[in-house]
Amino acid sequence: MAPPAQSHRSPSPSQPSGKGEVSDLKTQLRQLAGSRAPGTDDTKRELFKKVISYMTIGIDVSSVFSEMVMCSATSDIVLKKMCYLYVGNYAKHNPDLALLTINFLQRDCKDEDPMIRGLALRSLCSLGVANLVEYLVGPLGNGLKDGNSYVRMVAAVGVLKLYHLSASTCLDADFPPLLKQLMLKDKDAQVVANCLTSLQEIWSLEASTSEEAARERETLLSKPVVYYFLNRMKEFSEWAQCIVLELVSKYVPVDSEEIFDIMNLLEDRLHHANGAVVLATIKVFLHMTLSMTDVHQQVYERIKAPLLTLVSSGSPEQSYAVLSHLHLLVMRAPYIFSSDYKHFYCQYNEPFYVKKLKLDMLTAVANESNTYEIVTELCEYVANVDIPMARESIRAVGKIALQQYDVNAIVDRLLQFLEMEKEHVTAETLVLVKDLLRKYPQWSHDCIAVVGNISSKNVQEPKAKAALIWMLGEYAQDMQDSPYILEGLVENWDEENSAEVRLHLLTAVMKCFLRRAPETQKALGDALAAGVADFHQDVHDRALLYYRLLKYDVSVAERIVNPPKQAVSVFADTQSSEMKDRIFDEFNSLSVVYQKPSYMFTDKEHRGPFAFSEELGSLSIGTEPSDGAVAAQRVEANDKDLLLGTSEKEESHGYGNNGSAYNAPSYDASTTAGASQGHFDLVSIDQPSTLHPPSSFAIDDLLGLGMPAAPSSAPPALLLNAKATIDPNAFQQKWRQLPVSLSQETSIDPQGVAGMTNPQALPQHMQGHSINCIASGGQAPNFKFFFFAQKAEGSSAYLVECVINSSSCKVQLKIKTDDQATSQAFSELFQSALSKFGST
Amino acid sequence: MLQCIFLLSDSGEVLLEKQLTGHRVDRAICDWFWNQILTQGDSLKLVPVISSPTHYLFQVVREGITFLACSQVEMPPLMAIEFLCRVADVLSNYLDGLNEDLIKDNFVIVYELLDEMIDNGFPLTTEPNILREMIAPPNIVSKVLSVVTGNTSNVSNTLPGATASCVPWRKTDLKHATNEVYVDLVEEMDATINRDGNLVKCEIYGEVQVNSNLSGLPDLTLSFANPSIFNDVRFHPCVRLRPWELNQILSFVPPDGQFKLMSYRVKKLKSTPIYVKPQFTSDSGTCRISVLVGIRNDPGKSIDNITVEFRLPPCVTSSDLSPNYGAVNVLADKTCSWTIGRMPKDKAPSMSGTLVLETGMERLHVFPTFQVAFRIMGVALSGLKIDKLDLKNPLSRPHKGFRALTRGGEFQVRS
Repeated sequence: MAPPAQSHRSPSPSQPSGKGEVSDLKTQLRQLAGSRAPGTDDTKRELFKKVISYMTIGIDVSSVFSEMVMCSATSDIVLKKMCYLYVGNYAKHNPDLALLTINFLQRDCKDEDPMIRGLALRSLCSLGVANLVEYLVGPLGNGLKDGNSYVRMVAAVGVLKLYHLSASTCLDADFPPLLKQLMLKDKDAQVVANCLTSLQEIWSLEASTSEEAARERETLLSKPVVYYFLNRMKEFSEWAQCIVLELVSKYVPVDSEEIFDIMNLLEDRLHHANGAVVLATIKVFLHMTLSMTDVHQQVYERIKAPLLTLVSSGSPEQSYAVLSHLHLLVMRAPYIFSSDYKHFYCQYNEPFYVKKLKLDMLTAVANESNTYEIVTELCEYVANVDIPMARESIRAVGKIALQQYDVNAIVDRLLQFLEMEKEHVTAETLVLVKDLLRKYPQWSHDCIAVVGNISSKNVQEPKAKAALIWMLGEYAQDMQDSPYILEGLVENWDEENSAEVRLHLLTAVMKCFLRRAPETQKALGDALAAGVADFHQDVHDRALLYYRLLKYDVSVAERIVNPPKQAVSVFADTQSSEMKDRIFDEFNSLSVVYQKPSYMFTDKEHRGPFAFSEELGSLSIGTEPSDGAVAAQRVEANDKDLLLGTSEKEESHGYGNNGSAYNAPSYDASTTAGASQGHFDLVSIDQPSTLHPPSSFAIDDLLGLGMPAAPSSAPPALLLNAKATIDPNAFQQKWRQLPVSLSQETSIDPQGVAGMTNPQALPQHMQGHSINCIASGGQAPNFKFFFFAQKAEGSSAYLVECVINSSSCKVQLKIKTDDQATSQAFSELFQSALSKFGST
Repeated sequence: MLQCIFLLSDSGEVLLEKQLTGHRVDRAICDWFWNQILTQGDSLKLVPVISSPTHYLFQVVREGITFLACSQVEMPPLMAIEFLCRVADVLSNYLDGLNEDLIKDNFVIVYELLDEMIDNGFPLTTEPNILREMIAPPNIVSKVLSVVTGNTSNVSNTLPGATASCVPWRKTDLKHATNEVYVDLVEEMDATINRDGNLVKCEIYGEVQVNSNLSGLPDLTLSFANPSIFNDVRFHPCVRLRPWELNQILSFVPPDGQFKLMSYRVKKLKSTPIYVKPQFTSDSGTCRISVLVGIRNDPGKSIDNITVEFRLPPCVTSSDLSPNYGAVNVLADKTCSWTIGRMPKDKAPSMSGTLVLETGMERLHVFPTFQVAFRIMGVALSGLKIDKLDLKNPLSRPHKGFRALTRGGEFQVRS
C-alpha cells in the first residue's frame, strides 16, 4: 500500500524531521507484525511508545499506520490503548487506512473484558471518518444494551459522536429513543448523565428541522423528567451534577411551593467541595427566584458565605472564576455585601486582574458606614509600587466620591494625593478632581487652592493636562495666575502633541478671556493664530469658530462658551443596565468572566448549544469565512458614522442625555466642529489651506465617512503603481498634512492573524498587492502598520494606518489621500487584499 | 465542553496533546497562547480565561506546567478550571510530583488517565481512588513486580468494583493489617496588618484532613466541641449532609487513604500570634530600615519556620541588612528574605540596615509589604476542637490519632 500523502501537519523546521527514525520504526514494526515469539509484546511496547512520543512532539508518523494496525493483534491492554490512541489521531486524515482498523476494533468490541469492550467502542466512535459510520451502528447498539455500565456509559457518548459524523445514520438507527429509555431506567448514574448530555445536544440541534425533536427537547424540561433527575441527584458524580443542575436552571416551576421544594432539595449542594457544583446550584437559585423579590434577597444572603469561601480556598485560577461571578452579584446588589467589604481587600502579590475585580467591588459596596475604612484601604494602594494599581485605586477613590453624599473626607484625601509628588498619581488625581468639580462645584475653593500650586510642567499625560487646563479656564476668576499659566502653555503650542490638550487650551483661553480680558488678550490672540494654523481639523475649526464668534458679538460668544452650568448629577455608566441583566441571565458562563453578554463575543454560527465551523476548528484549512462578516460590519460602521461620527461624539451624547445645559469642551467639538467645517468650505476660499476638497466632498465627508462619493458613479477599477516608493520622512509629513478621508472598521481572517506571528508576513503579502509597508510595530494583541500606495496613472497617493487586534480579529483602517474621489475604491481594494491574507 | 487539552512546559513546548472531540484543534493555538504569555512577561499574569481568535482558552499553571484547555462553545468557566485543577492534582498524585521529565517519562499513563477522566469533552470521573483501580500508578512495587513476573501491564484487568457500589469513592473489599485513622486540622492564617500595626483583616482557612486505613466499609462520625465558630464549610462528597444540618456532626464512609474531609473558614479573629514591625527613616539619599519580630499572643506552643520576605522598591540601588538572629538573603530581583526559624526564647529578633536610594532621590516614598510565614505545631489558632471520632461498625478497635497545625497563609504587614 502506498504511503499516505503527507498531511498538513508537516514538522516545523526547528524540530528534527525524524524521517530516518520513522522509516526505521516502520521496518521494525513490520518484522514484529507476524511474530508470536515470547517477549514480542515488550518490544512492541517500546516501539509503540516511540511512535506515540513522536506523535506527541509533533512529528508526522502517519506513514507507519498500516504497520501499527498489523501489530494491533495483542492481548496486552496497554498496547491496545496506545494503538487506539494512534489510530484515533491519524484515522481522520487517512480514511482508506482507517478501514483496516475497523476489523480489530469490532472484534475488541466483543471481547469478554468490559474494559476492552468499552475502550474499543470509544476508539471506534472517535475515528471520525464519515464513510465508515455504517460499521458503528452495530457495536453501538450492542454497547447500549451491554451488561456492564462502563460499556453503556461509553456507548451513550458514542451515539453523540456518531450524530456529529452523520446525523441521518444516528437518527435512522433510532438511537435517540434508545438513549431516552436508558436515561430514565438505567441504574448507573453516569450512564444516565451521559445519555442526558447526548440527548440534549442531539435534540436541540434537530429542533430547528424536526418538530418531534423540539417536542422531545421540551420533555427534557418537563416536571417528571426534572424531578427524576433531582431525586437521583446524590448518585451523580460531581461533574454530572453540574450538567443536571444546568438543566434544572432552565426548568420553570409552576408555583412558589415548587420553587421552595427544589431549593430545599438542592441546598446542601452549596456545601459541595467542587466549586463548579456550587456555582451551578447558585445559578438555579438565582434564576428560580427572580420574580420573588424577597426570596431573591434571601438567596443572596444564603449564597454569600459559600461564594466567599470558594474565593479563599481554591487555587488562584479558581478564585478568579469565582470572583468574576461574585463581581457580577456585588454589582447587582452591593448593599448585601457591604458588611463583607474586607473580603475585597487586595493582597499585594495578587495578579492585577484579580485586584481590578476587587477594586470594582470595593467601589460598589461603599456606603455611609464603611466608606471611611474602604477609602483608607484604597489610599494604601495608591502609595503602592505597582503603578497601574495606584492609578486604578485613585480612580476607585474618585468613583466613591462621586457616588457618596458625604465627600468631605474623600476630597481631602484626593488633595493629599496631589501632594505626593508622583507623576502618575498627580495625573490621575487631576482627572478626578475635574470630574468631582463638575459634580460638586461647591468644593471649588478647596480644590483650586491645591491645584493652583501644581506646576503644569510636572503634568505630562494628555488627559491630566487637559483636566488641569479645563480647571484653569473654568475657575479663571479664582486662580490668581490662571492667565499667565495659560499664556505659558500657549507659547509652547507647537510642542504640544495631543490635539485634545490643544482643544482644551483654546477653550480655556477663551473662557479666561471672557472673564479677565485685559490679562488674557495676548494669550488669546496667540492661541487663535496658532489654532487656525493648526493642521488638526478640529483644532483648526474651533479656533476659527471662536474667532468669528468674537468678531460677531462678544456677548454671544460669552453665552456659547461660558454659559451658566448645572452640576452633573449622574455620570453616564459605561455598561447599560440592560447589558448587565443579559450577563446575569448567562450566569455561570463565559459571559461573566468576559463581562459581556455572549452575543458580543460569540459568532452567530456558534451560538447554538453545539456547533462548530470547520474553518475555525482547524486553522490550516483555507477558505474565506469572513467575507459576510466584513460586509455586515461595514454596514454597521456606516450606520454608526451617520449617527454619531466618532466615538468622541458618542461620549458627548452621554452628557447630553443628562439633561443638563453643561457644555464640556468635547461637547463643543461634536456640535460645532461639523458646522464650522461646512461653513468654512462653502464660504471662505481665501484661507491658506489647500488640502480641502471641493465642498460636495466635504459634505459627504460629514455625513457618512464610508459612503461612496455621490457624483462619481461607479468609478473605474483602481490600479496601483507596483513600484511606488516614498521615504519615511516624506510619509510622515504627508500623514500629518492630510485629513483622514476614510476611517473604517473591518475584520481580518483568523487564519491571517495566526500568520501574524511572523511580523514580516503581512507587509510581504500586501506588497504583492502593490501596497507597501512604511512602518510597523506594536505588540500582541495590537499591531499597527502604516502602508503607502500610489495610483498607477497620476501621482495621487494613499496613506493607510492599519491597527489590527489579533485577539478580536478587528482591524481599524484610517485612509488618507489627496484624491478623495477614489478613496472608497482604494479602501475596497485594500480590504480585499487584507482579507486574502492568511488564506493563500 | 472542552475540545482539547494541551500540556505545555515552561518554555512553551507541547508536552502532550489530547484531542477530545472529532473536531481537531490545531497546535497553532499553543503558539498563539505562548505569544500572549510572552507579551505579558509571565504566565501567572495572564488571565486564566481568555479568548483567542478561534477558541476560548482556559489555563491553569502548576509547577511550571501549563494545562491549557480549548473550547469553542459556551460552558461554565469554573467547570473547566476546576477540571484542569483536578487533572493536575491527579497527575501529581500519580507521578509523585509534577514536572516536565515526569510527564515525558510517563506520557502513556497521562494519556490513559485523561482517557478515563474525560470523554467527548465532558468530565467523567476525577476521583483518584477509582482511577487508581483502573490504571495502576507507576510505583516501585509495580516496577519490581513487572520485572519478577514478566507482566509489564500497569493496568488492572478488572473494572473497579466501586463503579458498581453505592459508595463510589471506596472499594468494597478493602483489607488493612493496620487498622488506623488519623485526623489532622491544618489551618492557614490570612491577615493584613497596616502600617500603624492595626489588624485590618484576619481570618483562618482550615482543612480537616483524614488519613484512613480501615478495613471493610467503616462508618465514621466526627464531632467538634465548638462547631459554632465556622463561618462556612465545604465537604467531601462522602459526608452525609443531614446529620450536619441537624447536629453539626460529620457522618461519613471515608475513601481509602489521605483525603480532605472538609474545609472551613473562620472570620474576624482578634489577634495574631506574632507581630512584625517595620520602620523606615529616610535622610538625604539613604534610608534606615529596622524590622522587629516578636510574639504578640503566645499560642502556648513554639513558633517555628518563621521567614519574613519583602521586595525592595525599585528606587533602592543597594542595601546592607544585618539581623541579630537568623540569616538575610537578598536576591537579584531585590527580594529580601530573612529566615528566622524557631522563635528564640531569650530575645526578640530584629534586623536593621541601610538602603541607598537612586541619586537625586531624597527620601523613600514607596514602602514594601512584608510577607510573613510561620508554623505552629499542635495548635489550631481558630480555636477549633475535635470532640470525638467514633466508628459505628468496628471489626476491631482502630487506632485513632489527632494532630493540629497552623501556618501563616497570606500574612502581610504593610509599612
